[in-house]
Amino acid sequence: MPEFQFQSFAEFLAMGGHAVYVWSSYAFFAAVIAFNLIQPALAKRKIMRQQRARLAREAGRIQSPEN
Amino acid sequence: MWQWFLRLGSPKLFYTLTGRYMPWLAAVTVILLVTGLVWGLAFTPPDYQMGENYRIAYIHVPTATLAMGCYAMMACFSAGFLIWKIKIADMIAKSCAPIGATITAVALATGSLWGIPTWGTWWIWDARLTSTLIMLFLYVGIIALRSAFESVDDGARACAVLSLVGVVNLPIIKYSVEWWNTLHQGASNLSLSDTAANPPEVWLPAFFVGFGILGFFLIALILRTRNEILVRERRSQWVSELITGHNTEAGNA
Repeated sequence: MPEFQFQSFAEFLAMGGHAVYVWSSYAFFAAVIAFNLIQPALAKRKIMRQQRARLAREAGRIQSPEN
Repeated sequence: MWQWFLRLGSPKLFYTLTGRYMPWLAAVTVILLVTGLVWGLAFTPPDYQMGENYRIAYIHVPTATLAMGCYAMMACFSAGFLIWKIKIADMIAKSCAPIGATITAVALATGSLWGIPTWGTWWIWDARLTSTLIMLFLYVGIIALRSAFESVDDGARACAVLSLVGVVNLPIIKYSVEWWNTLHQGASNLSLSDTAANPPEVWLPAFFVGFGILGFFLIALILRTRNEILVRERRSQWVSELITGHNTEAGNA
């Protein structure tokens, strides 16, 4: 069974003096993952809004000659 | 078999199926990524030369592998689009580019961060690093090329051709460490024996992260492709029904 390799949580954060390199690597990785999930989610909301507006516009145009 | 394959090429079926299985894929991905990253960060022994700094490799190696795999996949779908004119193949190829570009950026950045204390430099024009940088430029170039076209079809064809031309770079990246004397180390020899330089307790977490990142890639790819389907198929009946919410049959929005 793998064991926790650090004496304390503070030592874990310190990463044996390599904290800057290790944690900025993990942070950048996390940011890129988040971007690739959030950006398409926001894009989808925009697409749905635009298409709903288009459908409403077209429905209005079909009805307008009758009025 | 061929019938089934062609049916999967239907945007509606793709949209429905991916919507149905997305929660499962997301659950497996989260489990794999969290397990692998926590394991690699805290539960593997430090390297006898690099100390704790080698923990960056748990991101660097899987992202670099995925960056190349993503390019290969983009090229395959580009070929599929050029040969059979399958619409969804182009939508998938288009979705690959931004994911591949950002993942290549992670591979390069983590390599640099690892290199500062280990090599004493964050960058060197060695074959492995340079060919990977070229892959990043290819991804960015493909994204830019598509946006330069008014017509969807013209942009799709041009991007497919550029993607296929760029495939020549993949074996160069892969074999650069063998063909030339590079500062970048060669491929790791993984072995199940405990006396090996890389015992399983060191590389096993990397497999968890690797499959986790593969899951993330599939999720990101599916999300982008679904958006692309909504835009390109907007005139079709089923997308209209999906947007207005009259019919929830085609997967949850």
